[in-house]
Amino acid sequence: MTRIDPETRLDALLGAIPTAVEPDRDLWPGIEAQVAPRRGRFPRWAGQIAAAVALVAISSLVTAVVVRHATQPVAGMTAMDAPVRFASASFGPGHALDAEYVAARRQLASQLEQRIASLPPAARDKLEWNLAEMHRAAQEINEALARQPGDPLLEELLMNTYQDELGVLASVNQLTNTGAAATLARKEQIRL
Amino acid sequence: MSERTGDSEFERARSAADERRLVEAAVSGSVAAFESLYRSHVGRVYGLCLRMTGHRETAEDCAQEAFVQAWRNLPRFEARASFGTWLHRIAVNAVLAQARRRSEHLGSEGSVEDEVAETLADASLGEMHSGHDLEAAIAALPTGARHVLVLAGVYGYSHEETAQMLGVAVGTCKAQLHRARQLLSRQLEATERLA
Repeated sequence: MTRIDPETRLDALLGAIPTAVEPDRDLWPGIEAQVAPRRGRFPRWAGQIAAAVALVAISSLVTAVVVRHATQPVAGMTAMDAPVRFASASFGPGHALDAEYVAARRQLASQLEQRIASLPPAARDKLEWNLAEMHRAAQEINEALARQPGDPLLEELLMNTYQDELGVLASVNQLTNTGAAATLARKEQIRL
Repeated sequence: MSERTGDSEFERARSAADERRLVEAAVSGSVAAFESLYRSHVGRVYGLCLRMTGHRETAEDCAQEAFVQAWRNLPRFEARASFGTWLHRIAVNAVLAQARRRSEHLGSEGSVEDEVAETLADASLGEMHSGHDLEAAIAALPTGARHVLVLAGVYGYSHEETAQMLGVAVGTCKAQLHRARQLLSRQLEATERLA
């Protein structure tokens, strides 16, 4: 009688296990309930609205910075240390940044680059360095997400990075608006 | 014979092309295309979740969550990759996330569970003549060893792929597979002695 080696037998048994097992119930209705309405709640234009909101924020930031630069020297960037956190930082289903948003964001970044050239060198360097660091972090997280799709920790990190990016822009915006308001107040005092 | 081989290769190529088209349509927002992908892959995804969790309802929840996550992450899917493998990665993440939640909820360290599982795997679970018996023995393995055995031993992923999916070192993966195989072999030997 031939005795089969246990390791060989185990390999044979493992190889014979069917890899596909049908669930007892159809899971599709539960999946559809989560995906179909989600697409409805976040239609194509949702990404464009999010992008438009970001465009307004960035445009007003750039305008304020340029106005301030024309009226007084730009102070230090210390307000960046306390970035504002946006409640509207969820850009798409499941915190995923969809292709439309990514394209719109790329366009915004290009516009910002053109205008940022008019800033004083020191302020521009600091702002660009901060934004570049955030872009690099977002890129690294996106690469990790491509390897580990659906990882909740990575998704949270990615959202935080984008929130931080918007927070930096908003903080600079706030800072420059305050500066512009102070300049206007000083002018009013001189006029009186 | 060669004509038949050619036919089957053609069928596979057509199937792969169909799947690529379905993925493209799903990425563009087609729920119907995504449902087709679900129908094609649910068996393997659910099978993976079932073997990893060892519990039918939990496996159903994980498989469902995996497909929902897949839909949400479709824009990130790289077309050159295998959709099935990509889905499996998401399913593994869903199982691990579920295990973390369960561990947090129960406040257990997992080591007690593993101890119990190892005892069960050591004990006689009946004759391992059928696949069902083997499934029971796999379900009784300690969590880490079970996860590695399912991915590497049943679904054929390499140590590197398995380690990456589970977020562990390749060495850990090899050690866990060795441990799992030892426990199952011991079980086989016990069964043969009884026979």
